[in-house]
Amino acid sequence: MTQAVSRIGRPRRIAIDVLASLNLVGTLGKYLGIAALMPLAVALWYGESVVPFVVAGGLTSGLGLLLERATARPGGRVGVREGFLVVSLTWLLAAAFAATPYIVVGSDQLGHPIDAYFEGMSGFTTTGATVVTDFDDLSKSIAIWRQFTQWLGGMGIIVLALAVLPRLRVGGRQLLESELPGPEIDQLSERMRSTARRLWVLYVALTGLEALILSILGWTGVDDKMTPYEAIAHAFTTMPTGGFSTQARSIEAFSAASQWVIVAFMVIAGVNFALMYRAVLRRRPGVLVRDEELRLYLALLGVATVALCVQIWSYGIAEGEEALRFAAFQVASITTTTGYANVDWAVWPVLLLLTLFALMFVGGSAGSTGGGIKIVRHLLLGKVLRREIDQTLSPEVVLPIRLNRSPVDEKTLRAVASFILLYIGLWALGAMVIAIETAFIDLTLPMMDPLLISASAIGNVGPSFGVTGPMGSYAPIGDASKIAMIGLMWAGRLEIVPVVVLLTRHYWRL
Amino acid sequence: MRVFLIGAGQVGTTIVEALHDDHEITVLDTEGTRLQALTGRFDVAVFEGNGTSRKDLAAAGIGRANLVIACTSRDEVNIVAGMFSRREAEGATTVIRTSSAEYVELWREGQLDVDFVVSSELETAYAISRILGVPAARQTDVFADGQVQVGEFDIDEDASDDLVGMPLRNAKFPTDSKVAAIIRGDEMILPRGDVEIRRGDRIVVIGSPSAARQWSELLWPEGGTVRDVVIYGAGRVGSAIARVLREQGLSIRMIEASRDQARRVAESHPDVRVFNASGFDADFLERERIGYAQAAIFAMRDDAKNQYAASLARVHGVPFTVAIAHEAVSVAAFEQSGIDVSVNPRAVTAEEIVRFAHDPRMQQVAMLEGNRFEVLDVTTRETSRYIGMAFRDMPVHGSLIGAIVRNGQAIFPHGGDVLQAGDRVIIFTEAANAPWVVEAL
Repeated sequence: MTQAVSRIGRPRRIAIDVLASLNLVGTLGKYLGIAALMPLAVALWYGESVVPFVVAGGLTSGLGLLLERATARPGGRVGVREGFLVVSLTWLLAAAFAATPYIVVGSDQLGHPIDAYFEGMSGFTTTGATVVTDFDDLSKSIAIWRQFTQWLGGMGIIVLALAVLPRLRVGGRQLLESELPGPEIDQLSERMRSTARRLWVLYVALTGLEALILSILGWTGVDDKMTPYEAIAHAFTTMPTGGFSTQARSIEAFSAASQWVIVAFMVIAGVNFALMYRAVLRRRPGVLVRDEELRLYLALLGVATVALCVQIWSYGIAEGEEALRFAAFQVASITTTTGYANVDWAVWPVLLLLTLFALMFVGGSAGSTGGGIKIVRHLLLGKVLRREIDQTLSPEVVLPIRLNRSPVDEKTLRAVASFILLYIGLWALGAMVIAIETAFIDLTLPMMDPLLISASAIGNVGPSFGVTGPMGSYAPIGDASKIAMIGLMWAGRLEIVPVVVLLTRHYWRL
Repeated sequence: MRVFLIGAGQVGTTIVEALHDDHEITVLDTEGTRLQALTGRFDVAVFEGNGTSRKDLAAAGIGRANLVIACTSRDEVNIVAGMFSRREAEGATTVIRTSSAEYVELWREGQLDVDFVVSSELETAYAISRILGVPAARQTDVFADGQVQVGEFDIDEDASDDLVGMPLRNAKFPTDSKVAAIIRGDEMILPRGDVEIRRGDRIVVIGSPSAARQWSELLWPEGGTVRDVVIYGAGRVGSAIARVLREQGLSIRMIEASRDQARRVAESHPDVRVFNASGFDADFLERERIGYAQAAIFAMRDDAKNQYAASLARVHGVPFTVAIAHEAVSVAAFEQSGIDVSVNPRAVTAEEIVRFAHDPRMQQVAMLEGNRFEVLDVTTRETSRYIGMAFRDMPVHGSLIGAIVRNGQAIFPHGGDVLQAGDRVIIFTEAANAPWVVEAL
């Protein structure tokens, strides 16, 4: 009897292995700090202060190491449950890492912790919303750090860790999947490590290619302003669909040729990387033609560009090549959730703004670096709705939903529908917080603006309209609104579910 | 010929029934009671043992067989038995039965080391496809991989006037087809140019599948062509039927009571509309306008359900009903209840397998009018005296060449064409003359 009692032991209350999760976050932090070497090198090159990056890298790696040591314990296990916590915490940590140099520099525009953290979160989540108002005040190294954080966040920190680190004690695909954008439809048959490596190889190659093409435009005199520094800086924020720029006037500062190159790479960044890998590196271009998501993505871009071009032309904003370039650039930028601009659309008429607003909800393809709802979810939801209509007439009919000819699991479809509802709910909630705070502080935002800002943040787009437009800044909005946006960007980048799961009782308790 | 049979179930029994007179048969099965029942009816050798045991097969004397047939209801047993037969009975023809489309596919690709694979589901589906293609026919059969079709038709009041009551040489009938025989009462009339077809006759036609369909339209103008079919039951038989009919461009709806099965079929048959319903629900039948279908096929597992569902479908207006009869006795019961055609998958399978027991030059045989007439598929030998002879010069002996297959292509010969060595000849003959015909060619 006593033996049995001792075997039963004390009741356990916590349902997840917090220590093991923190241990893994510590490990990731330890390695993440190394990323500070990149801006450090730039600072040395331009003879600027290396202190901000030494502090940021040292703090992140040091605290990571400490956390790892403190929580080291045999038998710790990171499974599906712990994955959500690890991913969510890692991204909070990454934003703090990004914010440290801004705080150390301590300038007026970025020195405040909330502003710095906002900028850091906007960087790693590839949103591109900024509180910077005076771009000339940024040193070369701080400016490149902003760009670089977006590049690191684009393909995912944990995906990167899986690709390059020797060994991560992770129990499943959950970690990878909560960072890769889009619903899990493809049953990736390969090992996680090789998947992660492939994505990063392609990502690095495309970034290099873009930097090279832009540099060539600079060297050949086609674009005087496009120095190698600018070429690399903008390649760093195009491929992750980030949107940060070193220029106050964003891409407007560069020539038409550079703008067209950036349009092309924004469009590429919005395509599923796994699909591109199969098409290009495996030399099977047929998969591109057959892919339903890609076809819808390109069709949407085409239709939206034509619609916007007609509006721009008929409002007399621009004409000819310029009208087409404005249309194509803004459509690619907003749809893929990059957030660049080559013209200040904040002053455009309402119809144009509403067109762009609608595009904010489209998003890139699943498995791309783009944010938002994602094309494939719209596609699947459309198919579900069509089936619902069909089934009102014939309740007994069995209609499996297909994507690229293969049937899609009903569980995935439910997840898609609930994702879209969560997305819209969170968007409305964010807009409410911003609207309420705006009423209390000395800031007049037009009626639509809270809605637009919230949509821009959760979709990881970046700029919205009015004062927070593409040439403006988020500096004027209140701290509560900034914190709300930080939450929206964080949740939006991790595709909401891993974050929301943490708020449920049964995640923590048995 | 020495035939070694593995499996004494319904298919095995039907095969024994067909072959026991002319062949020496050994039957192996795991169940002694089945074997006893068999020895009670037929003079065959039996052996109680396991088809997947090489020892048992050797002990039962598989080594002496010329033809090995593995026809248990389990695919794996048949495949293993077929494999051992290759080792133990060198030179014997091996035929296995399977219910998996995948194995049939593998065999066609040459990945399965047996001579022939016969699938009950596919044979049933082909039989049903033939029936739907030629709804006016009493019976049809195909030769040369479906390139040649033989049909038996009743000439009644509906038959077109272009055909009836005039000498055959003036009658307009579909090209690529031949009237092989006219049966008037007990008499068989050879179709010479001056003979005429009368109402009340029964005729046998050999032609291309499209010609067979045209015959059906000529003889039953209101019958039309079947385009829209409802299949009840989405099991293996139902799915195979759906696949074969889809390949022919028919529009298919399926009704399946099991939710999971319905989902599976809907996934694997993207262009078939699948309903998850019992098929006995009058509201459902009405709402989905099941009665508007031109034909319904009942392929559920339970014969009783098939019969009731067919009656209900008739009530709702389906004009043509075809039912799968899993039990042999159901065939008669179905016909009593007004079902137009019934198909027994095991009988169809057995019939298909029995064909392999014939003369190696003879690929296939079909029986018409009970056993009175036969259609044979025979390869001509070089020594035949008919080689090099034009068809119009051939003597009339009560047999008729309906088609020849040359280099895999079916040809419907005219008087001037010449028979060549190695041609496969599809020939209609009285059963009594069959051995003589095979000998002469």
